[in-house]
Amino acid sequence: MSERLLIVDDSSVMRRTIEKNLSDYDLEIIGQASNGAEAVQMVEDEKPDVVTLDITMPEMDGISCLEEIMKINPDTKVMIITALADKLTGLIALDKGARGFMYKPVNANDLAKAFDKLLKRDGK
Amino acid sequence: MIKRLNNLPIRQKFAVIIIPLIVIILAFDYLQIRYYYLDYSDSVRLNKAIIVGVEINHVVHEIQKERSISSGYLANEGNGFKQKLERQRYRTDSTLQQYYNELSSGKLDKLMELHRKDLDELNGFFERLTPLRKNIDQRSISSEESIERFSKINDVSLNTVIKLIDETRDKEIAQQIHATIYFLKSKEYASIERAIGTQAFSHSRIDFDLYKRFTSLVAQQNSYLDAFRIISNKESIEYHDQLLKGEEVLEVNRMRQVLFDNDTLAENPNYWYDVSTTKINLLKKVEDYMSDTIQARTEVIASQSVRNFWTFLILDIAIGIAAFWLMTTIVTNLIKNVATLEAYTKRISKGDLKKKVVIPTKDELGQYANTFNQMVLEIRKSQFALRKQRDKANFMYKNIYGVSLVVFENIEQGIFLLDKDFKISKFHSKAMNAIFNNERIAGENFTNFMRPLILPRELEALEMFMRHLFNEDMDEEVVNQLNPIDQVKIHTEAHGVVSTKYIRVEFTRIFRKGKIQNIMVTVSDETESILLQQHLNEAEKKKQQETERVLSILKIDPSILRGFLHNSRKMLKGISERYENNESDDYTELLSFTFNIIHNLKGNAVVIGMELMANKFHDIEETITELKSKKVRGKDFLAVLYEVDEADRMIGEISEMLYKIVNIYQKFPTEGNSSSNIINLENLERGAENIAKEVGKKVKLTFQNNDKVVLPEAYVDPFNDMMIQLVRNSIVHGIESPSSREESGKSETGEIKMQVSKNEHEMFIQYEDDGRGLDLEKIKLQAVEKGIITETELDSMEESEIVNLIFHEGFSTADEADMHAGRGQGMNLVKSIISDCKGAYDISSSEGQAFQMMIKLPILETEEQPEI
Repeated sequence: MSERLLIVDDSSVMRRTIEKNLSDYDLEIIGQASNGAEAVQMVEDEKPDVVTLDITMPEMDGISCLEEIMKINPDTKVMIITALADKLTGLIALDKGARGFMYKPVNANDLAKAFDKLLKRDGK
Repeated sequence: MIKRLNNLPIRQKFAVIIIPLIVIILAFDYLQIRYYYLDYSDSVRLNKAIIVGVEINHVVHEIQKERSISSGYLANEGNGFKQKLERQRYRTDSTLQQYYNELSSGKLDKLMELHRKDLDELNGFFERLTPLRKNIDQRSISSEESIERFSKINDVSLNTVIKLIDETRDKEIAQQIHATIYFLKSKEYASIERAIGTQAFSHSRIDFDLYKRFTSLVAQQNSYLDAFRIISNKESIEYHDQLLKGEEVLEVNRMRQVLFDNDTLAENPNYWYDVSTTKINLLKKVEDYMSDTIQARTEVIASQSVRNFWTFLILDIAIGIAAFWLMTTIVTNLIKNVATLEAYTKRISKGDLKKKVVIPTKDELGQYANTFNQMVLEIRKSQFALRKQRDKANFMYKNIYGVSLVVFENIEQGIFLLDKDFKISKFHSKAMNAIFNNERIAGENFTNFMRPLILPRELEALEMFMRHLFNEDMDEEVVNQLNPIDQVKIHTEAHGVVSTKYIRVEFTRIFRKGKIQNIMVTVSDETESILLQQHLNEAEKKKQQETERVLSILKIDPSILRGFLHNSRKMLKGISERYENNESDDYTELLSFTFNIIHNLKGNAVVIGMELMANKFHDIEETITELKSKKVRGKDFLAVLYEVDEADRMIGEISEMLYKIVNIYQKFPTEGNSSSNIINLENLERGAENIAKEVGKKVKLTFQNNDKVVLPEAYVDPFNDMMIQLVRNSIVHGIESPSSREESGKSETGEIKMQVSKNEHEMFIQYEDDGRGLDLEKIKLQAVEKGIITETELDSMEESEIVNLIFHEGFSTADEADMHAGRGQGMNLVKSIISDCKGAYDISSSEGQAFQMMIKLPILETEEQPEI
């Protein structure tokens, strides 16, 4: 059974890019959210196993969103995908419970590798 | 005390135990030997005493007989018993002699010593026999008295015997001796009974006293005999009873009864004497038997004592020797073993583990020895293992650590390990010191170490980052993406000199047994490559500038450019010279001098279209303006000088470039007079165009030289400089904007005319524009505002004087300073050039219509006159 993924990013282009890049990867994409608040709601409703999370977003930023997600289900595997160069924010995200981290832009190969690591799969 | 005992060496401890034991044993031995010796000596002495006693008893027996016979002799008044008496006396004496012989035999020395007094007393009594016998022979004493005197001797004799023998430690013998004594007494009384009987039967009567004495004698005799019977041994009693049952005994008893009855005593005294004697002799036999028995017994005891003594002594010595031997053997062995162990342990303590300890006994010490050997074996085993490990460690050191050390000494990167507390390992590569200009690295907390080097935000991130690195749950690659000091700028300080470095810091997890043990950190100094990058960027920019310069040069006529460059260098040099010669601390004058020159040069640059230099000079002007507002000191002026130098350098570079370009032109000549050295008015025209374009005006320059005046070399630069200032002032201040010109009915394009003429002595430069002329009111206002003149002074001034205010230093009517005018220097500069050239000038202005200026310069003697 493949893990269920929620994509969170305020940019629709980015969401589509992630989706497209993961089309060949064994993951069930259960939804997309364009801001933190929406993402929290979807995590509450859908209980995804994996979340890709942008940091800079309107409504609720990635860090607060991450905190909420961890409150709802601490086992959720969160992959930060951000364009933000500030490393302290990235480290704070790891502090708050994120287990994966990637810089934008992303490609299919890097995503697959990152998800292999996040989901502890053997890279094929 | 106990502590002192405990602290004694083992040998002394043994002594403490054994010596009292030996003393006790010896004391016991002494007592035991003494006991046996006493037994023996007692027996021997008793034996001898009995021998003497028996001799005395023999004497007593004979005296008893003599007593009875003497009694009979006296009672019969010398008639009877005479022969008997003599025979008896002889026997008594020989018995006595036998006793004396025994005494002087020498065998009795010890006994004699003990009983000398008793024996001497006895011998004294024995000597009384002689006078007694004499009295008997003389019949001078009564029968009773003789009995009495004989009895006294016998009494002493018996007592002496008792004294001699009554000293023994053997209970049985003591009892028998007493029995013998009782028996002897009984026998003595029997003997006295015989004497009294003999006396009574001789008289055939017995008086009352004698009767009483006789009956008491018999009673005493019987009571002693009873006592004898009670305490004597069975054998003696049986012997007595067996002997004393014959007819003689019965006859004695019958005749005793006769005496008791005290009837007619018709019995023969001799017969009484004989039967009594027979009975007494039987008693004597019993006595001898008893003496013999005792003597035999004492001999047995003596020999037994001797035997016991020797047995004990031999046994004692044998046991003693055996015990001593055992003790010595055991103690010696123990002490030897202890000493062996001690020596061995000392040897071990000194590290000598080669030999085994050998203790052949199987006691505790033997066990200890085995344990020791086992222990030493184990130590040697572990030593061997340790040595092996040490060798391995040595090998490791030489082959791995040694190599790492060499690597760490020489590697250019900083390498060290971090532990979980972010502490820097003791061992780090030498490059660390050079990179961080710090000798204190080992053992420092990495966060604290970096604190003064990086920004607080970076530091916060670093701490968080390191924590995640040590978190096993975090993926190393994911964490490493967030390395905040991946590339970081640090400021290190060494000897007060702060230097900036760019370093790259990389982190790698080091695992041991599947756990993160350390983080390996590598630090590379990338300053050089980053500086190289910056240098490359700068070089790129410079290249661009140079291209620009080349292009700007190419636009300008080389002769004009050369003139400009030559002039500029000369002027700038003038600034340096003035600075060097400046003696006062007041730089205000120097500053304004510099400003004039720079301003002039800026104008020239603009006129010839040398934007690069115009910009540079403008920058210098800005710097000077900033300084003008405050008191200027030497060090402030240095900043200006620095910029002046830079401008000079730029000019030098441009000259060099120009030289190269001219070379190229000379090689490939083109048409036209590009290499001509005359001042090309085109330059002025182009300058005017440039300025006009900047300020949004239109202008046209015309030049007349009807006299074909040739400008001497010395006037080329001043002319240029003056014209440039005047043209600029005309465009900026005089010529109106095209729209306002149209409004006032003028043509859109303003006109500037220059005319050069001369006579014999002078050269005339006529300058004219069709601008708005001089605005006197504005000049007044400006002059007052700039503090050049006061309002009261103005009131008394004539128009021409007011006009002349524009030549005053610092005067400008422009509202804002820009590259072309407004600093109030233009006209002042023109004025100073004219005076430098020893010339004169005149201004006329018609408001709203024109501005005119006539400059007169003296004619100079010149070889070559440049053609205008």
